[in-house]
Amino acid sequence: MAANESGDGDQVELMDFQEEELASSVSNLDDTKFDTTIGHIEDIIMEDGFQKMQGDFMEQHYHHFDDDEENKFIYTDIHKQYLSLVEKYLEEQLVARMPGFTMEAFSTQLETRKKKKKDSLEGEIFEILLTFTDFLAFKEMFLDYKAEKEGRTVDLSDGFIVTPYHEPSTSNDKPSSSTSEAPGKN
Amino acid sequence: MGLLTILKKMKQKEKEMRLLMLGLDNAGKTTILKKFNGEDINTISPTLGFNIKTLEHKGFKLNVWDVGGQKSLRSYWRNYFESTDGLIWVVDSADKRRLLDCREELRGLLKEERLAGATLLVFANKQDLPGALPAEEIRRNLGLDDIKTHHWMIIGCSAVTGENLLYGIDWLIDDIASRIFTMD
Repeated sequence: MAANESGDGDQVELMDFQEEELASSVSNLDDTKFDTTIGHIEDIIMEDGFQKMQGDFMEQHYHHFDDDEENKFIYTDIHKQYLSLVEKYLEEQLVARMPGFTMEAFSTQLETRKKKKKDSLEGEIFEILLTFTDFLAFKEMFLDYKAEKEGRTVDLSDGFIVTPYHEPSTSNDKPSSSTSEAPGKN
Repeated sequence: MGLLTILKKMKQKEKEMRLLMLGLDNAGKTTILKKFNGEDINTISPTLGFNIKTLEHKGFKLNVWDVGGQKSLRSYWRNYFESTDGLIWVVDSADKRRLLDCREELRGLLKEERLAGATLLVFANKQDLPGALPAEEIRRNLGLDDIKTHHWMIIGCSAVTGENLLYGIDWLIDDIASRIFTMD
């Protein structure tokens, strides 16, 4: 009887232990998979392909944007296009890198994590992803792009204006000095 | 729903509210927005697109969207319904001729599924004008008492003097906050 009792006790203890380990290893596996996905998203966003896609998109649409306080309705359309472009790109890249990846499963995982511990969505990558959805940040990105574009153009024309002013004297000087230098060296 | 939309919805902070300000053209929406934000209101021209302001008030971050109200622009309003916590309907209380139009537009909005969860604040604006109808008259003309689907309040105000703007916004924030907290 005594031996039997202690035997049962051991068994129960053992089962408890196994269950605990099983549960934690499952969640570890989920965590690893989640972290891997996040790692890939970080990579994808930093890579040239993504930057190029973003650049092409801005090149295509920046002419609509003006540095006014009031926004045009078309900005909203362009923002929507941009969001679906980024989402599609991320999904394609993730599928290519992680066989069997589905956005649905990942989204479910995100929501589960959010419910479990509230701070699980903290981190730079989430801030970056959320910035995509922020309209004012989106507008700012386009205005920066436009300013850079137009800034470069102004700089170039400045350069062209400066050169002709010096040309009458310097262009006459330079050949004469080089010709005078050449014979001098000889 | 895509990944970014999901993230946005999940990350929406408790202390953040999205307010959508609509109404017929020349009701004073942009003037209210600017006055509330402490900006100059002397050079406001008709809004042909939309304005956004992010304001800190009562410990909340308010994202206020003000969309142009001209007839040809009203079909764009729907693009701004998503995730709206509070709808601010602005009425030119001196524009008696268009009260019916005003009533019909508001009726239409209240049927919108995406605005179903929003609190409604009606600003009976331009109370500083001599011919302005009092808020009670606007309330009757718009048939506000028939509204059973939304929490609502109407208040007479003046965007020019700033009268009652704060009072209205405070009520709106309190109502939204109480709804959000009871939901959690």
